[in-house]
Amino acid sequence: MKDKYYAGFMRDMPAWMQNFRHLRKPLFAFLVDFLSLIYTWTIVSFIYNTYAHGVASYTTLPWWLMLIVTVEAAALWENFGVSVGMKLLGIRIATADGKRPSMLACVVRFLVWHVSGLPLVGYILTKKGLAWHDLASSLGVVSHEDVETRRLPWYRQSWSLAVAFVLLATVIAAFLVTRVDWHALITNAGRTANIWKAFLSPDWSLLGDGFRLLLVTVFMAFMATAFGVVVAVPLSFLAARNLTQGVVGRTVYITVRTVTSVIRSIEPIIWAIIFVVWVRVGAFPGVMALLVHSIADLIKLYSERLESIDPGPVEAIRATGGTKLQVILYGIIPQIINPYLSFTLYRWDINVRMATIIGLVGGGGIGQRLMQYTRVWQWSQASMMMLLIMLVVWVMDYSSSRLRARLM
Amino acid sequence: MDHLLTVENLTKVYARGEVLALNDMSFSVEKGEFLVLIGLSGSGKSTLLRCVNRLIEPTAGTVTFDGVDVTRASPSELRRVRRRMAMIFQHFNLVKRSTVLTNVLSGKLGYMSPWSSAAHKFSRSDINKAMANLERVGIPEQAYKRADELSGGQQQRVGIARALMQAPDLLMADEPVSALDPATSHSVMQHLEVMNQEDGVTVMTSLHFLGLARRYGTRILALKDGQIVYGGLPSDIDEVRFREIYGEEAEEVGVR
Amino acid sequence: MAKRPKKSEFGRFNASLERFAVLRSRAFAFFLDWAAWGYISYAVMYFLNQYWYTWYVDWYGTLVLPAWGWPIVVLATLELAILMHAFGHGIGMSLFGTKLVTTDADYPTRKQRWRRFLWMHASLVMLPLTLLRTGQDGALLHDRRSETRMRAWKDVKDVLPARKPRAWIRTQSGIMTLVLIGVTFWLGWEITEIDLGMLFSRAGMSARIWKDLVNPDFVHFFQPDPMLEQSIVQGLIESIFIALLATLMGGIIAFPLSFLGARNIMGFSPLGWFVYAIMRAFFNIFRSIESILWAVIFAVWVGFGPFAGVLALTLHTFAALGKLFSEQVEGIDPGPLEAIASTGGRRVDVVLFGVIPQIVPSYLAFSLYRWDINIRMATVIALVGGGGIGRVLFYYKNQVGFLSNAWNQVGAVVVAIVAVIWLLDYISGRVREKII
Repeated sequence: MKDKYYAGFMRDMPAWMQNFRHLRKPLFAFLVDFLSLIYTWTIVSFIYNTYAHGVASYTTLPWWLMLIVTVEAAALWENFGVSVGMKLLGIRIATADGKRPSMLACVVRFLVWHVSGLPLVGYILTKKGLAWHDLASSLGVVSHEDVETRRLPWYRQSWSLAVAFVLLATVIAAFLVTRVDWHALITNAGRTANIWKAFLSPDWSLLGDGFRLLLVTVFMAFMATAFGVVVAVPLSFLAARNLTQGVVGRTVYITVRTVTSVIRSIEPIIWAIIFVVWVRVGAFPGVMALLVHSIADLIKLYSERLESIDPGPVEAIRATGGTKLQVILYGIIPQIINPYLSFTLYRWDINVRMATIIGLVGGGGIGQRLMQYTRVWQWSQASMMMLLIMLVVWVMDYSSSRLRARLM
Repeated sequence: MDHLLTVENLTKVYARGEVLALNDMSFSVEKGEFLVLIGLSGSGKSTLLRCVNRLIEPTAGTVTFDGVDVTRASPSELRRVRRRMAMIFQHFNLVKRSTVLTNVLSGKLGYMSPWSSAAHKFSRSDINKAMANLERVGIPEQAYKRADELSGGQQQRVGIARALMQAPDLLMADEPVSALDPATSHSVMQHLEVMNQEDGVTVMTSLHFLGLARRYGTRILALKDGQIVYGGLPSDIDEVRFREIYGEEAEEVGVR
Repeated sequence: MAKRPKKSEFGRFNASLERFAVLRSRAFAFFLDWAAWGYISYAVMYFLNQYWYTWYVDWYGTLVLPAWGWPIVVLATLELAILMHAFGHGIGMSLFGTKLVTTDADYPTRKQRWRRFLWMHASLVMLPLTLLRTGQDGALLHDRRSETRMRAWKDVKDVLPARKPRAWIRTQSGIMTLVLIGVTFWLGWEITEIDLGMLFSRAGMSARIWKDLVNPDFVHFFQPDPMLEQSIVQGLIESIFIALLATLMGGIIAFPLSFLGARNIMGFSPLGWFVYAIMRAFFNIFRSIESILWAVIFAVWVGFGPFAGVLALTLHTFAALGKLFSEQVEGIDPGPLEAIASTGGRRVDVVLFGVIPQIVPSYLAFSLYRWDINIRMATVIALVGGGGIGRVLFYYKNQVGFLSNAWNQVGAVVVAIVAVIWLLDYISGRVREKII
């Protein structure tokens, strides 16, 4: 990598800018604490409101009041103990010689923090890396390794208790938000007995029809993967950090990475909705939806592999006087053919799975037929379709994992 | 006085001035010399070699190769210079999944047009030359094996065959035998010696073992903290000099 | 790769049965090549349909041959497969890593190949007899008669005289693979009815949709939509919790059961093998059906709503994590286990102190990976009644034509989904880096 720094030509950063470095860790820790506290409070409020008032509300006090109280609580937690944020970043509050601070010093620090830490003023105008509230209480923020600690069990440390509490509250809230109803699960099983009977006796007369649909589905997956590979392979070189340098390279890298991330975050089913409107129901929009998503996913997988190639052969080819193209052809490509093939097979596997369900929005293949049967509650036909899906996905999964094992 | 390579005030700085890898080095290399660089790890040997063919960009200074200013050369000029300098590496740097023959032929890439290299179209004479070079280093029967199926010593010899394909004026070797056992090390160094004496290739190599340096080198350049602390004949390095170069606790280990 | 504990620890091979193991890959290779030729002939008939106005493949894509047609196709493909096995090195052979060599480890001559070709017909006609008279080294009738053997490539690699290897593209398996890919491309294009013309002709109409999509309307981002009684934020929260709960429950259940699916824990008694087989079959079956299809069933069972989504995702997560976890257990380093057993620890101790510490990091990483996937599924599981943000999404999609800003609101939902998934992807990626 090019290094354009010439010794002696650059001046030091001004002092007040350097102080930003000291700002980073305490600020980040405070952010983490604040967010976790506000999250906990909203979750607990939600649980309380649902049980006590039957209302799905996330607040128990006006939101501005909750904000202020949380800020105070976070500051208190940080000054008097070890908070989650501090544990995460590995910092502690300690005296100059690494001892635990006294109660008075903590109180002083907490009070002064309101003037200096909260408006960030005290962090910027500091002396020797110590903020005002640190100076006033003669304490400092240090790394956790420099402090002697009492080894308390997890249930006596505030941060571990907090984490456990948050996890518990989250699970309870999850049960409430998703309206888990074990009672319905058990009682409805009996009531829907007819359905299960029909479901467990698949309609074998649909075997031929089903196989044909399977064929369409598998072909859908193949086309999407094949064309996806064709587009993704060249683009992956543009998304690899070690191959894109210089201003132009950087911008291309960032653009490609961002666009593919966005495309990847949109499930193929959602893409299928768009394409069904575009080119009408059938296998074609399914192929297009899978294609778009495959390209993005393949670019990510390919470029991550490119970023971890062995630089040795690349260096060697450069040293013999090869051009950039020759370096790619002889130094990079032989290394990546097998991993690329393996990723392609992996993506084909996933595409087959996706192709079975993309019919649900009109994407053709066996999913569409399954959706039709379930809509009219023809359960034994639906279960035949599911059986066929099971078959094709299992075969695909097995053969692709064996092939991939041989490639690597 | 025909210097093949002249290095003037070469400086390399990393990490915003915190690491000074090369500190204002100046020396020159005559045609036909077998120059050995010695010094502790981190003294700048690898950096120096890579700055000569600009695999690493120097921060300041000039490198002149046979009258051509390498440090200010354009990309195509640089390629032309690079194909006259061959390089072999500590970890061999072969393309593991390609055959030995392809690896050797890649030494000719600097001379080939982009189209023929893209199509892997090597001329018959190139292929014959590659086989001849493989015979020269003693492993013609490995030609079609995958490079990573060979032992360390054999892989380094493939690297040497690749270097021979370039018919270079200068051969640089970055710790070529550090990953090899003593017997294989001698074998590899002997190939370099043959290249130096029979083909007239100037050799510049970095080595760890002073014994090897004394046995094969015509001149020794000792580096410490990015500077040259000794430049002279191998026989002139006595105890005092040795400690200067390697530090007070160093002891010489023999490679017989 | 998971290390496979030796089968001989429990089941032992009879000397007479061992020679059939060699035949297994040969048979598979042959069938694969036969199937490949069958596939190519299907494509040929499809092709004839298109351009010669024959009718060998009906509108549905199934083969309709006259009665005399079937034997011709079957025999022709069989002949081609036999030809390939005698004279060439087809896909099946390279995939299963076998090579045809003579009994004295040399390349077979033309004459030997002809004899092999002819005798293969005899072998196939008298197949049961041929199999019964398999030689000690797995040699069949046509092997003995042509003095050739089909050996594993890795066994003969070093013994054969050196020969310049051909570029893959020019080998038989390479050409065959390319032909198959080309055929699949062409068939696929036809079968999936790709119609680029329609893509471009309707591009103008779709431009309207795209324009609206990239102008999202966040009117119902915080405010619940009165028709749905849900806002985008609420939908997102629902989806996140669906995924969270499903991953938690699925992971917790999969954790102990994965040990039942691991060869090195279960493979010490017939009952153990039986349980192992059942667990593995269970994992495979429930993995093969995507969560959204399970949601169809659960929506009927417990009614529409996020609970159905949770159950569906839990089932799929349990199966997926169960398989991943049991592969991890199979791949552990047996060293620490030996150490603990040698100190006198019971099986339980070995598991608790030897196995578990080795696998916890990968368990956590896999669970996070699964959470990623579940979040993505949870955004669309409302399609079949699973609840979550998908409900909002599909509602607005169905309002197209009734609401003027329908697509804009769809765009808003998509933006929200992208933001959440991207953020969670990033966080889980960073956490996974820290764990491993």
